[in-house]
Amino acid sequence: MQAVLSSDYSFAQFRFLERLLLVHGRWSYLRMCKFLRYFFYKNFTFTFVHFWYAFFCGFSAQTVYDEWFITLYNLVYTALPVLGMSLFDQDVNDTWSFQHPNLYVPGQLNQYFSKTAFFKCALHSVYSSVVLFFIPYAAMYDTVRDDGRDIADYQSFALLAQTCLVITVCIQLCLDMSYWTAVNQFFVWGSLAMYFVVTFSMYSNGTHINFPASFPFIGTARNSLNQPNVWLTILLTSILCVLPVVAYRFLLIQLRPTINDKVGTLTNHTGFCS
Amino acid sequence: MMASNYNAKEEDGHQPAAIGHGGAGTVKNKKPDNTAFKQQRLPAWQPILTAGTVLPAFFVIGLIFIPIGIGLFVTSNNIQELEIDYTGVDMSSPCYNCSQSYSWNSTKPCLCSVPFFLDQPFESNVFMYYGLSNFYQNHRRYVKSRDDSQLNGDKASLTSPSKECEPYRTSDNKPIAPCGAIANSLFNDTLELYYIDPNGSRTAIPLVKKGIAWWTDKHVKFRNPGGNDNNLTVVFQGTSKPVNWRKSVYELDPSDPDNNGFINEDFIVWMRTAALPTFRKLYRIIHKKTNMTPTLPLGQYILEVTYNYPVRSFEGRKRMILSTISWMGGKNPFLGIAYITVGSVCFFLGIVLLIIHHKYGNRNHSADIPS
Repeated sequence: MQAVLSSDYSFAQFRFLERLLLVHGRWSYLRMCKFLRYFFYKNFTFTFVHFWYAFFCGFSAQTVYDEWFITLYNLVYTALPVLGMSLFDQDVNDTWSFQHPNLYVPGQLNQYFSKTAFFKCALHSVYSSVVLFFIPYAAMYDTVRDDGRDIADYQSFALLAQTCLVITVCIQLCLDMSYWTAVNQFFVWGSLAMYFVVTFSMYSNGTHINFPASFPFIGTARNSLNQPNVWLTILLTSILCVLPVVAYRFLLIQLRPTINDKVGTLTNHTGFCS
Repeated sequence: MMASNYNAKEEDGHQPAAIGHGGAGTVKNKKPDNTAFKQQRLPAWQPILTAGTVLPAFFVIGLIFIPIGIGLFVTSNNIQELEIDYTGVDMSSPCYNCSQSYSWNSTKPCLCSVPFFLDQPFESNVFMYYGLSNFYQNHRRYVKSRDDSQLNGDKASLTSPSKECEPYRTSDNKPIAPCGAIANSLFNDTLELYYIDPNGSRTAIPLVKKGIAWWTDKHVKFRNPGGNDNNLTVVFQGTSKPVNWRKSVYELDPSDPDNNGFINEDFIVWMRTAALPTFRKLYRIIHKKTNMTPTLPLGQYILEVTYNYPVRSFEGRKRMILSTISWMGGKNPFLGIAYITVGSVCFFLGIVLLIIHHKYGNRNHSADIPS
């Protein structure tokens, strides 16, 4: 009884050990590593963009994004999707995990989150941040709206950069997730919808009239998100951030398939539904 | 068929005799519920990066991006734009004398004339911008230095501006309206355009100064204190003008009460700080003529500058830009070129991956899985 109270996991019969290790233990390792890698990626990307902007703002530490966005980014816009991934993700279902116990080996060899994996994640973040800053920068350089008025102002640029970031980070999460339940879908699309809802409501007339100093971005969402070149920039940025990842992963599956990939393909080919 | 994992097999064995529960009474079942949610077997979609999905995706993206890029590039090339730098850096430049002999307090304005030739007529609405380079409107302390409550017409903020405006908050013991460094550095050059006929006569080109700011800025964000109907001189009594201004805020356009005070459109355009150190801001609009003549015909023009704004001290540059507009905004070939490049790279990558898949991709046989 005392052993049960002081343990992380306890179970009554030895036959449960196999399931604990090969299914839940493996899934737990996978989820934690994916969560960590993704979390580092999204926050490094978010931060490195400021590094690039420093060269263009006189190194004065001016933020690229709206202050409210910075507050809500980790709290509202990207919290639930990554939580959903770390609760439900499975790369291989439990029956197959039993049948192929050597799927457990990557956990023993510390393959999913090591110094190399962290370094690769940081490198990916640097690349993403370069794309996420310089494509909007070049697209907005000396540009105007389709009625001749300003679009290269600080507030519109901030909105563009943050929209690109949120969409890119969402797409990256969708690539990382390998088990899409309804809950995951709801979290991901809900968070993206929440971003637009919160942005439009913070940048509306009413919020500004009541709190002018706290919500100075009034009108920015309406005036810049109705421009085709803004949306074309967002599309280009997201695709350019994500394409190398897709190509790299596809190449790995083709050239150096891991056991997970092989089992995964087998699962899909036989339409396994057990 | 995509695998949707739904495990119908009953996996738990029977509950062993309850440890620690004594005798009679209801046995509380500590088993977690056997629902799909709690037993990790929610129905799900498990996408895998197969050749059947990735390769077509690459080709489709390539085939979509290239025409978009071509469209953008062609549109951008059809936009007409003319830039004239009138800072007066070279000795030979017309505005050289003005740029040298300048101080904030000089009462006599310095005038210079820059002639230029338009070798293509400009059709449809032409927009006139002033552009600045090396001017960091995005510096953190500069961006903070404003009081949005004051600009929104709040009476309390008019007499007691925000601390963020320091050191441009008070002057002569009176609060500054509008306060802050952004307002203080308002661009105050005056630019006028004249067309020189082939027979030598000058015609002034009509420049419209309203409709240059965002609607939300003009009607919601910036409001004069006490509404628009009051006499602004009275409303702004007790405040002083910004340190580097020559006129007060209620003298910005006395002839038009809808463009005076905080809702002056040139002021609003300036207060919308730029994101990058090289930027352009809308100055005037030249409306298209109703008949078939071009808005700006081919020929000789002259730009008359009232040179008030000093930029030489920080190696800044001033320029005047005349530009037509399209659905994608001003002239910017970058997006077109980027789309064409990414589309072609994508297509090429698709071909490379297809080759690799054909040569090496058949290793995923189940016979290979050691078990």
